[in-house]
Amino acid sequence: MKKEMDVDDHKLELPDLEAKYSTSITKGLVGAVAAERLLRDGPNELRPPRGTPECVKFGRQLAGGLQCLMWVAAAICLIAYGVQEGQGDRGSADNLYLAIALIAVVVVTGCFGYYQEFKSTNIIASFKNLVPQQATVIREGDKLQINANELVVGDLVEIKGGDRVPADIRIISAQGCKVDNSSLTGESEPQTRSPECTHDSPLETRNIAFFSTMCLEGTATGLVINTGDRTIIGRIASLASGVENEKTPIAIEIEHFVDIIAGLAIFFGATFFVVAMVIGYPFLRAMVFFMAIVVAYVPEGLLATVTVCLSLTAKRLARKNCVVKNLEAVETLGSTSVICSDKTGTLTQNRMTVAHLWFDNQIHTADTTEDQSGQSFDQSSETWTLLSRVVTLCNRAQFKSGQENVPVAKREVIGDASETALLKFAEVTVGTVSEARGRFPKVAELPFNSTNKFQLSVHTAGDRQLLVLKGAPERVLERCSTVMIKGQELPLDAQWREAFEGAYADLGGRGERVLGFCARWLPAGTVAAGTDPEALPEVAVGLCFAGLVAMIDPPRATVPRAVLKCRTAGIRVIMVTGDHPITAKAIAAAVGIISEGSETPEDVAARLRVPLEQVDPRQARARVVTGAELAGMEPGVLEGILRAHPEMVFARTSPQQKLVIVESCQRLGAIVAVTGDGVNDSPALKRADIGVAMGIAGSDAAKNAADMILLDDNFASIVTGVEQGRLIFDNLKKSIAYTLTKNIPELTPYLIYITASVPLPLGCITILFIELCTDIFPSVSLAYERAESDIMHLKPRNPRRDRLVNEPLAAYSYFQIGAIQSFAGFTDYFVAMAQEGWWPLLCLGLRPRWEDTHEQELQDSYGQQWTFEQRRYQQYTCYTVFFISIEMCQIADVLIRKTRRLSLLQQGLFRNHILVIAIVFQVSIGCFLCYCPGMPNIFNFMPIRFQWWFVPMPFGLLILIYDEIRKLGVRRHPGSQFPPAGVLCPPPGAL
Amino acid sequence: MATLNEKKTCSERMENFRRFVWNPETKLFMGRTLINWVWISLYYLAFYVVMTGLFALSIYSLMRTVNPYEPDYQDQLKSPGVTLRPDVYGDRGLQIYYNISENKTWERLVTTLQTFLTAYTPAAQHLNVNCTGDKYFIQDTFDGPNNTKLSCKFTSDMLQNCSGIADPTFGFPEGKPCFIIKMNRIIKFYPGNGTAPRVDCTYVGDESRPLEVDYYPVNGTFNLHYFPYYGKKAQPTYSNPLVAVKFLNITRNVELKIVCKIIGAGITFDNVHDPYEGKVEFKLKIED
Repeated sequence: MKKEMDVDDHKLELPDLEAKYSTSITKGLVGAVAAERLLRDGPNELRPPRGTPECVKFGRQLAGGLQCLMWVAAAICLIAYGVQEGQGDRGSADNLYLAIALIAVVVVTGCFGYYQEFKSTNIIASFKNLVPQQATVIREGDKLQINANELVVGDLVEIKGGDRVPADIRIISAQGCKVDNSSLTGESEPQTRSPECTHDSPLETRNIAFFSTMCLEGTATGLVINTGDRTIIGRIASLASGVENEKTPIAIEIEHFVDIIAGLAIFFGATFFVVAMVIGYPFLRAMVFFMAIVVAYVPEGLLATVTVCLSLTAKRLARKNCVVKNLEAVETLGSTSVICSDKTGTLTQNRMTVAHLWFDNQIHTADTTEDQSGQSFDQSSETWTLLSRVVTLCNRAQFKSGQENVPVAKREVIGDASETALLKFAEVTVGTVSEARGRFPKVAELPFNSTNKFQLSVHTAGDRQLLVLKGAPERVLERCSTVMIKGQELPLDAQWREAFEGAYADLGGRGERVLGFCARWLPAGTVAAGTDPEALPEVAVGLCFAGLVAMIDPPRATVPRAVLKCRTAGIRVIMVTGDHPITAKAIAAAVGIISEGSETPEDVAARLRVPLEQVDPRQARARVVTGAELAGMEPGVLEGILRAHPEMVFARTSPQQKLVIVESCQRLGAIVAVTGDGVNDSPALKRADIGVAMGIAGSDAAKNAADMILLDDNFASIVTGVEQGRLIFDNLKKSIAYTLTKNIPELTPYLIYITASVPLPLGCITILFIELCTDIFPSVSLAYERAESDIMHLKPRNPRRDRLVNEPLAAYSYFQIGAIQSFAGFTDYFVAMAQEGWWPLLCLGLRPRWEDTHEQELQDSYGQQWTFEQRRYQQYTCYTVFFISIEMCQIADVLIRKTRRLSLLQQGLFRNHILVIAIVFQVSIGCFLCYCPGMPNIFNFMPIRFQWWFVPMPFGLLILIYDEIRKLGVRRHPGSQFPPAGVLCPPPGAL
Repeated sequence: MATLNEKKTCSERMENFRRFVWNPETKLFMGRTLINWVWISLYYLAFYVVMTGLFALSIYSLMRTVNPYEPDYQDQLKSPGVTLRPDVYGDRGLQIYYNISENKTWERLVTTLQTFLTAYTPAAQHLNVNCTGDKYFIQDTFDGPNNTKLSCKFTSDMLQNCSGIADPTFGFPEGKPCFIIKMNRIIKFYPGNGTAPRVDCTYVGDESRPLEVDYYPVNGTFNLHYFPYYGKKAQPTYSNPLVAVKFLNITRNVELKIVCKIIGAGITFDNVHDPYEGKVEFKLKIED
């Protein structure tokens, strides 16, 4: 990427620059020229990545694995319809209805999925800053406020602390200007901007500020050198859209499943085609049979079930602050085995907070919780009084006005991160800071600068003056001659220096930013108001050391538990940060990414007192790798390291290296979730199996590249997502098993119809009603099923072994439960036929005469004579009876699918209320279809005799008992397959 | 993901499939050892034997519970169907077209009638009894031979002019053809509520236009003593009573739509979904 930076403006002298952009570094552009350039270059804004056109998005919803299967089925139906119509066959309209239903299902679910996607895109869009950004520009010598998108190349702009840099600008003059380049480079340290060219690379030099970075403090004037998409950020954003999306694991699962279905369908179809030919059907007729069987195998309702289950979970996740852009990402999250997480803001609170204090030769722990619920330290010491006063006074930060009712932690502050932390700390522990400052009016001050590395101020305190100073601890100590211990000023001797060094090293080792504080009472008038600040350091000698304050961006309270949850769930959490390795390691240890007792090779080397090279990597569970080390690694070495050390922290990494880390994890077979917020993270987010962008801190580019967005930027939300993802995988498995089972009782009537020539027991419209009406709700209700065991204690599923639909599952559903259901249906069918006058033996071979429309006096077993229409209604009665049988058995089926291992009684029969409602709903629909007047002629349902509802019930009971026995076997003999399954199915990965 | 998505070539797929069918290293046939396959087959065999047994048991007990004489329910047989002889079907229902001058066109119609009436010769009906009462022939006991019930005799001579005895051509060559109307059997069905149901033929849609019809037996009634029907087992020799209609003024060379309804309480002929319930419609065209 760096190759593409052809910018050399940073190396040009100012006159050359003026000439290049034909502008003036004092007066700026002429308005007319600016307008002309605006017209030429377009507005100064990032063109949203050329989003997929809406029609393509919609098209994608219609072209998944299952959708294709259904398109093929619909095509077959239409062909069959054509063939039958050509033969003048009555009842061929069924095929037309079927084709229409299939197409309708695909289109309706497609619309549904599209709507879901559209809705989440809207949520994301609402995050975008709607207020247009303003920029201060100098044109024709006048200072103007214009919308930032009207800036053009050559414009002279001013930026100040708190502004977002409005374009790529070359700095012409600057006063203490610092920018935060983290969204670009990942480096979170503020960086100074000044007019000098300090580096050949435009990315490294100090005299260029980049579009969309934040100016933290100071002011600067600069010349716009790039606008809009031609800015560095713009180029990166367009690069990211080049990374291709991979297929989601669920899409792969569904394809695998479609393979199984299609294989079985063709196998069955072909078998019965041959059977039909042998029996002596004409070729065309046999061909129609073949097509009908293939189509009957298509689980029409499955698509709706999967879509609804996924969107239910997406909704549930949205309530828990995860917005899923792509429905399938829900499940991907569940298969995640590695999470590469950012530190700042994701694992931590993204606010510097006082964590520790050292005074009275003791380290005190401050409260770092987000809501100030933690314990405070002993504040009775006199030393604390002095220290707190220094902390309060020697601080230039202040709260923005009008926030009296806002909790301290949430108030907005003008000032840098450390000063903000100290201000808030003082406000919380001491009391109103502004009041204290009012009591001690400031006489003079010297702001912090990088040469002195301290800041001091002098305040009037009654008849004396108080000099307060804070800064880098070693610099502070240099200026001290005494130290305050328990209110006593003691001389600062070697013993105290040693104590200081110890405390400083200790706090520094925890990755905390340490500041020293000291003070001195001066006689009144020592420093006069308006004294030159540069003269102040001379006064600041022989000070009294008050203490050290250490600050850190503390981990979020919920994160350690979430990391532990990941660990028990077999998910590796890898920290990838731009921060300093020591800080990174400290935070990693605090949140449990590096667990207690784990050592890095450096720790091992220190403990064993051997050089680092001699340390056996296996002894070190943890490892911190810096970006510099990473850059020097041969390809493949990183994989080795990832394999050798389970606990990894990457520090000082650039976002580009994040991509390398993600790819290495993927080469190890992991399914990787990546969090990111910067523009530069977007390639890694795209490359990851699931990219998670931050809702608050995230840039638009990151949000565009991500599959999921955390509204609260909280790592713990990802873990919730993982849990939901795993649950939905488990529950989808159950839903699919439930949906698949009834395929067999829907298919066998047709097979028997062909081979035994009985009157057709189950019609096509009835099948559609089962698939798309009565059974949808129960199969969706399984998505509400609780987890059977703690799913977060299991390892992530192995995408190559743990399939959504494996062969034992399919075989068990099809050839055992489905078979029982078929027997139930046929029993009820023969009962209904026999009780209406058609005994089973008469039914065999009856089909040709039964279906003869010219036969108006067909004799039943009692000698009664039936017209064709009377027989047709009898046939509808059979359809209805078979329908009710399937429904009754499906109630048993949905109950057994609630669990895969546990007994139904252990899981609780009525715990899942939705499922109970679904069963009631299913029965009600069944009743409605049967007994609503007019049904016979609309949907071919007949009001059947009450007792025919009961005929299939013993079979339902049999299903329950049979499956309980199987589950008992599974529990007693875990690991073995009981009962054996998978007769007609290849093992995983064979095809 | 890359590892999962690798595209396989066709030959690789075939090779994988061959390996799946028989893997010489692990000795797996279709993913299982042979002994495993045997066990599975035995399991499924046992499973299906048990299931078939249960099914057979269900059907057996079903057959034990059904009444051999009459069905438990007659939900679809509320009203009898009506059929016509000769019965020649065209594209839409019954179409009787013939040409007087072409013998062949009506000879097969006549043959149909003759064949149909062979079941009504005195010889064929000799097992049945002569009935005279004009009321339902209710039999609560099994008075017939071999524990059956008696059936009333219906012989073709009762159709008089349309019996085929006097006129073996049933009036077809004269353009005054005979048709035979038959009502379907329904067990324990009492048509007419004490009044004998009768056949009434009219033009379709225009009932006022006179259609001159001779009905045989007189008035075109089905005598009540043929009802009720007690089923095949109780009345193995039962024959449906017939009514013959002779159309006298058929306009030549015109396609006529005629409907013959059976009038009688309990017999409906207005079921839009069943054109053969309580009535029979047909098209008749006689050409010169």
